[in-house]
Amino acid sequence: MTSTMDLIAKERDRLLQRTARVYGLSFTVVSLLCLSIPGSIDGLAYALALPLYGLVGFAQARLGVSRSLVWVAVIVLGGLGIIALACLVGAGPGPSGVSGIAQLAAASIASVAIVLTTEVHRRVVLGAVFVLVAGTEVTLLAPHQSPLPTLALLVLGWTLSTVIGFWISAAVPQAARRIAQIGRAHRAERHASETEAQRRQGARLLHDTVLATLTLLAHSGVGVAPEALRQQAADDARLLRQLRLGATPTPQSSGEYNLETDDEAVLGTTLESVKQRFGRMGLEVSWHGTGQVLLPSHVLDAFLLALAECLENVRRHSGVTEAHVTITDDENTVRAMVTDAGVGFDIEDVDAARLGFKESVVGRLQEVGGKARLFSSKGSGTTVVLEVPR
Amino acid sequence: MSTSTLPDESTLGVVLGRGRRRAEATRRVIREVAPRRASLGTGFIGVGAAVVVGLRAIYGFVWFLSQWNEYPDPLPALGAWVVLAGVLLATVITARVGGEQLPDWLFALFVGGLFTALVLDLWAIWPLHDIGRNATAAVTAGMALLVVVTLRRARDILIIDGVLGLTLAGAIVLNSSLAPEDLGPQITSLAFAVLPAAIGVVVVRGFRRLVQVELDRVLVQSTVQAPRFAVGMLASEELARLDLAAEELLEAIANGRTKLPLGPKTASSAASLATELRLHLIEGRRETWLYHAITESDFLGKSVTLVDKGSLAGLLDPQQRDGLLSTVWLLVSDTTKNHPTRTVQITVGPATGSVETPNGRRIDVPIVITTTGVPRNRVDPATWEAIRRVGQYADSTQNSSLRVDVHCLVANPADH
Repeated sequence: MTSTMDLIAKERDRLLQRTARVYGLSFTVVSLLCLSIPGSIDGLAYALALPLYGLVGFAQARLGVSRSLVWVAVIVLGGLGIIALACLVGAGPGPSGVSGIAQLAAASIASVAIVLTTEVHRRVVLGAVFVLVAGTEVTLLAPHQSPLPTLALLVLGWTLSTVIGFWISAAVPQAARRIAQIGRAHRAERHASETEAQRRQGARLLHDTVLATLTLLAHSGVGVAPEALRQQAADDARLLRQLRLGATPTPQSSGEYNLETDDEAVLGTTLESVKQRFGRMGLEVSWHGTGQVLLPSHVLDAFLLALAECLENVRRHSGVTEAHVTITDDENTVRAMVTDAGVGFDIEDVDAARLGFKESVVGRLQEVGGKARLFSSKGSGTTVVLEVPR
Repeated sequence: MSTSTLPDESTLGVVLGRGRRRAEATRRVIREVAPRRASLGTGFIGVGAAVVVGLRAIYGFVWFLSQWNEYPDPLPALGAWVVLAGVLLATVITARVGGEQLPDWLFALFVGGLFTALVLDLWAIWPLHDIGRNATAAVTAGMALLVVVTLRRARDILIIDGVLGLTLAGAIVLNSSLAPEDLGPQITSLAFAVLPAAIGVVVVRGFRRLVQVELDRVLVQSTVQAPRFAVGMLASEELARLDLAAEELLEAIANGRTKLPLGPKTASSAASLATELRLHLIEGRRETWLYHAITESDFLGKSVTLVDKGSLAGLLDPQQRDGLLSTVWLLVSDTTKNHPTRTVQITVGPATGSVETPNGRRIDVPIVITTTGVPRNRVDPATWEAIRRVGQYADSTQNSSLRVDVHCLVANPADH
């Protein structure tokens, strides 16, 4: 939190400094223009004042990027030096010279007030600088212009730049507070977005059956009885509607899978539905081995989804229409071996990520403490071993 | 079933170019906040400008009264002041009531009022042949533009300011003596009329920029509290949209509105729906808060690149994240117009092993920050303090720009 306040103070100072710079430089230029009119001040005074103008201009440019009071001092002393030269050398300023001096004292030098409003010690400096400038100018200009208008313009100029300084200083924290409010609202929004995305992403089973149906539809629904597909679509649409309305539905029994939400579910019945689903898509799956294995439902989900992804890979890439799945189990693990006699591939050549193997097979199994191994070589088919703990 | 004629329904595929699209999408969120951005705090600045103009007007009016006897006919000048006061009051009140907005017709009325005051004042002092020394309402009219400086675009203000200045300058040339002893006051009056509004435009622009940077920073700051892997701001919205599209498609099939077998068009839309849905379901597992912070930010997005193959940034605790974000922010936001080429690259990891600390075993994640266009001596001192919050660091110079190597100690996720 302190760092935020620091950053805002920094931004505020930067804005004040830039304001002081543009304000000061503008009027320095105008003042120089006035003093450059022939006859406005003595020639020697003008020659000596020129480098001082350069100095003041440089300091004002530096003031735009630096908080240092050194530049304030240079501006004030340089400006006063110009006024002294104009008033004391030769015959003193003509009417245009008086205008130039007024610009310098009431606007150009006064621009430092903008950066002297933020802290107490700076305000003290501001007061002192004002007294110094006003005293010097009124005294030096007295023979050429009556003190009242001189002082009036000075007070106006210094008041305006002080007001500008204070006002900007006050506006920045105010804006920052509003911005912080928006930030808090945004954080809440991000949190809500995160939760909602997690809820939807968490409805994995639901999405897996929806995706299976969509995949069938992507193939125009060819090879599936229209009535069965319509029934499936109706079930999935209903689940999606429930999800939309805020529930987290889980498909209990669908034409594709039969996924139980009980603590433990039987593997055999669900394997049969996976077989049917791939059968409809043109891949004959033969089951071997254990038919009835009890698994915790979340392990079963992961196991089945990984298995389905492997079969999907066979269907897409192997070039054959038959796959074998052998299920074995011992007291610690349940193992599935997915084998095909297809084209195979060189594991070195094929990026596992391209097959989605890592994401959808390894990732899913790892989440439930399982693992997967892939064996293949060109021309001799592919074997995937999936393992999950019981 | 020949796969070659089927739409490419990438069941398991990895899609390229997703990051880019997402960055666009999330920027939209920030842009949606933008309308609020325009008025944030500028209302207050507008009141300040009105106060400044008010002070200036009082000074000008007192000056006018003190000159009363000099005028051949002071009534037009008085009229100018009445018009000016009326216009200023009406504008300030309208702006307050109308919610910091000034429709075109009101702005036209305002500008008309300013020019009326200008002309009336010039009419009154025309016989004196010294506009510079005698103009009061005319000069204040130029500065009065400050009242609307937060309500209108900079261009409007500058154009009107320019026209006012040219009018005044033209009148001076036609009417007044341009002898050396008279030229100074003419220039002074012209400057006092024209410069304040122009300076005001610069200040308001600076203030708006400040608000924009600050808003961007605060919005991005919310990622500091995000979980290790997060979804972007629009993820749930997109997922909801896809779910709805799938629901509608399935519904249409279920009630027979869409006939089976599907036509190629519907089939292909089902295919792309499935692909997008799959991508969104696995989305968020790879992207860390830092990725989201950078892509969601207008400022960071332009100049910061992130290399974080192991998604290790997600392991940083909120304090370290805050430090890292502040560091990057300080390195980038110092960008003035002089350094448009400032860029920052953050490379996170790979983890180098674990270290025993009083708080338990920690993984050492090296973070390398390389920059271009950031000389070591131009770095804001606060940056070092921010880096220290990330971890122990060593700074050096690479290609005459800053490079920082940070050793960031993070808790091992496997220990939890």
